[in-house]
Amino acid sequence: MKVRKLFTLLVILALALPLVASCAPGPTPTPTKAPAATPTKKPPPTPTPVPEACAPATEGPLAGVDPRGQTVVWWHQHSRHREEWLLEKQAEFNATNECGITIVPENQGGYNDIRDKMNAGIATGEVPGLVVGYQNDQAFYALAGGLADMNPYIDDPTWGLTAEERADFYRAFLEQGVHAAFDDQRLGFPPNRSMEMLFYNQTWLEELGFDGPPTTPDEFKEMACTAAAANADGTGGFILRDDASGTAAWTFAFGGDVSNEDRTGYMYNGQATIDAMTFLKGMYDDGCAYFFTEGYPNPELAARHVIFTQGSSSGIAYYASDMEALGSEDVWGATAIPHTTSEPVMDIYGGDIMIPATTPEIQLAAWIFLKWFTSPEIQAQWDRCSGYFPTRASTAELLTDYVDENPQWGQAMALLPYGTYEPQLISYQAVRDAAQQAFNEIIQGADVKATLDALTKEANELQAELMEE
Amino acid sequence: MAIVHQRTTPTPRPSMFTGRRWRRLKEALTAYFFLLPAFLIIGVFGLFPIGFAAYVSLHRWRIVPGRYRGLANYVKAIDNLAYVVAFWLVVIFLVLAIRALLQARRTAREHEDRPWLWMVPAVVTAGGLVQFVRFCVYLLPEVLDIGQKVKGLERTRELFLRLLGEAWGAPTVQWALRLSLLILALGLGLAFVVHRFLTHSPRNATYYTSFVLIFLLVGGGLILGWLTWTEIQAAYAEALAEGEQLEIWSQVVTISAGFVLLLIAWWVWHSASHRPTMAATLLRLGAAAVLMVGAWVLIGELPRVISAGDENWWKSLQVTVYYSAGTVPFQLGISLILAILLFQNIRAKGFFRVVYFLPYITPPVAAAAIFRVLFSGRPNAPINNLIGLLGAEPLLWLDEPDGIFQMIAGSGVTLPGWAAGPSLALAVIIIYNVWTYVGYDTVIFLAGLGSIPGELYEAAQIDGAGGGAQFRHITLPLLSPTIYFLTLMAVIGTFKAFNHVWVLRSGAALGTTDTASVAIFQEFFRNTRYGYASSLAIVLLGLVLVLTVINNRIAQERVFYG
Amino acid sequence: MASNVSATYRATASSKSRGIDIGRVLTYVILLAGVVVVVVPFLWMVSTSLMTLGEATGRAILPRAPQWDNYVQAWEDAKFSEYFVNSVIVTAITVGGQLVFCTLAAYAFARMEFPAKNLLFTLLLSTLMLPDALRWIPNFITVTWLGRIGPIAWVNNWPALTVPFMASAISIFLLRQFFAQIPHELWDSAQIDGAGHVRYLLQVVLPISRAPLMTIVIFGFIGAWNALAWPMLVTNTPEWRPISAGLMAFLDEAGAHFHLQMAGSVITILPILILYFVTQKQFTEGIAYTGLKG
Repeated sequence: MKVRKLFTLLVILALALPLVASCAPGPTPTPTKAPAATPTKKPPPTPTPVPEACAPATEGPLAGVDPRGQTVVWWHQHSRHREEWLLEKQAEFNATNECGITIVPENQGGYNDIRDKMNAGIATGEVPGLVVGYQNDQAFYALAGGLADMNPYIDDPTWGLTAEERADFYRAFLEQGVHAAFDDQRLGFPPNRSMEMLFYNQTWLEELGFDGPPTTPDEFKEMACTAAAANADGTGGFILRDDASGTAAWTFAFGGDVSNEDRTGYMYNGQATIDAMTFLKGMYDDGCAYFFTEGYPNPELAARHVIFTQGSSSGIAYYASDMEALGSEDVWGATAIPHTTSEPVMDIYGGDIMIPATTPEIQLAAWIFLKWFTSPEIQAQWDRCSGYFPTRASTAELLTDYVDENPQWGQAMALLPYGTYEPQLISYQAVRDAAQQAFNEIIQGADVKATLDALTKEANELQAELMEE
Repeated sequence: MAIVHQRTTPTPRPSMFTGRRWRRLKEALTAYFFLLPAFLIIGVFGLFPIGFAAYVSLHRWRIVPGRYRGLANYVKAIDNLAYVVAFWLVVIFLVLAIRALLQARRTAREHEDRPWLWMVPAVVTAGGLVQFVRFCVYLLPEVLDIGQKVKGLERTRELFLRLLGEAWGAPTVQWALRLSLLILALGLGLAFVVHRFLTHSPRNATYYTSFVLIFLLVGGGLILGWLTWTEIQAAYAEALAEGEQLEIWSQVVTISAGFVLLLIAWWVWHSASHRPTMAATLLRLGAAAVLMVGAWVLIGELPRVISAGDENWWKSLQVTVYYSAGTVPFQLGISLILAILLFQNIRAKGFFRVVYFLPYITPPVAAAAIFRVLFSGRPNAPINNLIGLLGAEPLLWLDEPDGIFQMIAGSGVTLPGWAAGPSLALAVIIIYNVWTYVGYDTVIFLAGLGSIPGELYEAAQIDGAGGGAQFRHITLPLLSPTIYFLTLMAVIGTFKAFNHVWVLRSGAALGTTDTASVAIFQEFFRNTRYGYASSLAIVLLGLVLVLTVINNRIAQERVFYG
Repeated sequence: MASNVSATYRATASSKSRGIDIGRVLTYVILLAGVVVVVVPFLWMVSTSLMTLGEATGRAILPRAPQWDNYVQAWEDAKFSEYFVNSVIVTAITVGGQLVFCTLAAYAFARMEFPAKNLLFTLLLSTLMLPDALRWIPNFITVTWLGRIGPIAWVNNWPALTVPFMASAISIFLLRQFFAQIPHELWDSAQIDGAGHVRYLLQVVLPISRAPLMTIVIFGFIGAWNALAWPMLVTNTPEWRPISAGLMAFLDEAGAHFHLQMAGSVITILPILILYFVTQKQFTEGIAYTGLKG
């Protein structure tokens, strides 16, 4: 079907071109008029009858706000099978929700694209009903007055969560969206989470004479160097990740933190970060680690170009599919970042969903969808599709069979209790860029301590500048 | 209707021409009508952004407008150089005004016109235009504020129209508008009176526009001068309160004096070639050299000022200069060679031309994707595999922040920063750029070669000139307009380059590939410092303008318009 | 014009060759080296696009068996069919508008006298120097407002994608260069026939301006086909997103799957390549005028 479409198009092109070429001298206004007739591609949305259920609350802060028949646009970054699933679920929600709410999910590219669009939208007053973003984005939008506080919705006796439902959410995830800098407003709500992990090739490890994945940095380095020696061309060991989340994850694994004690600023120059960076630099210098900058490294692991990679747990499904695509029989796994601490410390992260400041009706409708979207049944389906981790305990119970089918995902899920977080400060987006540059400088040979001192200073200055007003 | 009727009659009737004046007016009106759609679009989408950026650059502005902060953004970017530049802009405005005045006087003398009465309507009109700008400056924030006002309301067209009406109707806005319209009407009325009753010259319109321009230049210069003056005063007052020493004035004076000396030196040098005797020539050259040395000593103040500005920004400017200097000569040189070879009597000329042109039409997203993989820094990337076959060690390519000269010199020698050259990562981006544009330049060079009359070569051959001499004395001079055009486009292109630099950018290259455009983009979209980013963009725009003017100057001397 | 064409086929003075001479061989060697440098990245792209994942991540130079399925997969994963149609429509509108507006403006600059002509021309060329990043925010605000108060939506619709590009400084410049070269005699004789500017433009100038107009079409096509950042900002759904946006999203998605990345790249390059091959004669002729004096 689609191939035929392409063919038709090519034929049209081939026919049109000589035509254009032969009548080029006639720049009559026709070319502007003809296509102008085509713009309306989308059929007008069918008006939904206003149902009787879902009547406005009669008391509480949301009294009189009527969510019925509202249309909520949702800007998200999910694509391909995740987007397809979302569209399916959206159709289901639109057809079945008793408030007659219409949800319209729209992919807006990556997180950066969404941020650019939100900023432009806040400046002109064109914002969607729902938007995804990290905790630092929340603070940023809030500074420009672009977000609604979600506390009134969660607490509302009519529309909010019951005490049990609240308790069902992992407490830490739920509290991540509460911002002390903005009067404890709740600016984000967690639909899913992921974790920074180490991926490894078990079969290859065994061939090289090791039992299983490393737990300490020293074991890790030994294994990586052995594999690199086996490949003997600069590849083989470990693919470095220069992203700020990588730096944070290694700092955590070395028993430190990149936030200062009261989490109001940054501390990139703690001993743990220094040790971690020195360790990674040592691996690079010894030829046991290298960069791969053209995309996610999953095909490299599958092709045995490398024995260890590092990345988000949400990539597990992609590793699995690449193993299959390459016909690899190797057993592989996902484990904690090698740590000097006795228990692993895992870097957990994930975008929240926010409700931008629009009308009370749209905001309430957006919350109603969000509540549905994070209900255990739907969340379990979402996690199966996306490979994300659930944010509430009862969802996990619905996923036991999935864990059986996807052992790596189960391995990762078991590490959830060991989680901690990266800074949630307003400046973190700019600081991430600075941290990435600092990581690269260190790998290229800059002094570790001096570079991290400078990074800490720059990061805290960026934070101060943003909070200035 | 009458005109249409006239057109259909085969013989033109003299009654249609109520004089040359009418025909002139008609032609001007038709021309404006022709220009209207294009200039509407260019005005809205090309010129308005410049004004908008200038306005934003004077504010602290993060997504939503903040407070006015004068030249502070510029000072942050280039430190006290901002004052020097502002001072010089004032001077340039005044010089341009005086030049236009002299030009008008010369024209008037030639034709024995008496245009000075035009000053009256012109000054009023210029005042009206300035007032109109003031109106825009009042209206803009009112309109931008609507974005905040619609929060919590349903965004309907009626609401927007109402809010827009309110913004439009705000008292300050309305007053500024009425005042500006009134003054403009007065100016035009006066112009009409002068034109109809007082002076009769076919050059009236020219006088009027050039006088308006003169007054606008003077007015703009005065406003900018006043702004700079108050800023400097404020800076001094603040420094005094904090017990610090400021050197703004001394720096303005030293650096300005340096440039004045440089200008004089250039002028003396230039005039040296026209001296009748050898001694006079030598004397002039000597004087020029002395002046030059003096100028450099004074301009030696610059690096100190520069180092006080935004380090990141200066670094990006340095990268841009490397990028431009590394791209333009190679791009033009290679394409000139290819064009000359292709111009000979060879087979498959069309084939070569088509193939060379392919990179230019390839979508940059796709082409950059290819280069990103080919020149990846991983040990088993395609180019590394290739050089591995030749026995070389793999290189980091797009991930390599070290300068290429430094790499050639080896790690034993440590070259100073500027001598290390562009980083290998930047060199790859230069290769990409050359690869993309060589075909385009070749085709244009070919056209330029084709327009050189063949008789010239035949004559030269009869005179016994060899291939090299022919190239130097015929090809190069006659090709110079093409070379000029391509150089200008290439320089502007490299200074504006963004898309492919952004796609090929790697964190491991440590910002050695971040050109000025990338730096601006980062400030704009990643750091959302709209005010600061706008000031950087204005600085870049100024820089490109200066380069264009210099390019034009050189062209005037070197380009041979046969 | 005729003299230009004949000049192209005239040998320069240095070709005094008999039989095989070294200079001639060298010429072909250099020219062919240029071809190799230009073509190798394309060949690598095509070759990789036909590989399996294993071959693409390894060191293979040629696929053992061409994987035509890659194209089907890229086509379906990236939903190129939608983006394709969008790009064609957007390109057609943009180029159509450019033909009308730029021709009019270029004619005025080339053939008419009016006050402030030089000032306006300088102003026009100065827009060439504007860094793109500077334009996005103000232009986004502008199109938002035009959509709010105008009869049709601008954001997420064709106007925002096309109208800002309908008056291109470089196109106006190029056409002006050509129009200025048309001999004055034509204008004089047209005037004797009683033709005004409009009729002269339509009946005399345009019919002989095929090559430069074709060049405008191709420039417009290249620009519209390759546009990326601005379309991403002013579209919210794939409904109007052009092919480059589709390719960019796909490249990110495909990650390190080079074979799919390259298959997607081939798909986007192909149409513009076909257009070029069909029109290259007029295009080369027309593009030549951009560099000429005038």
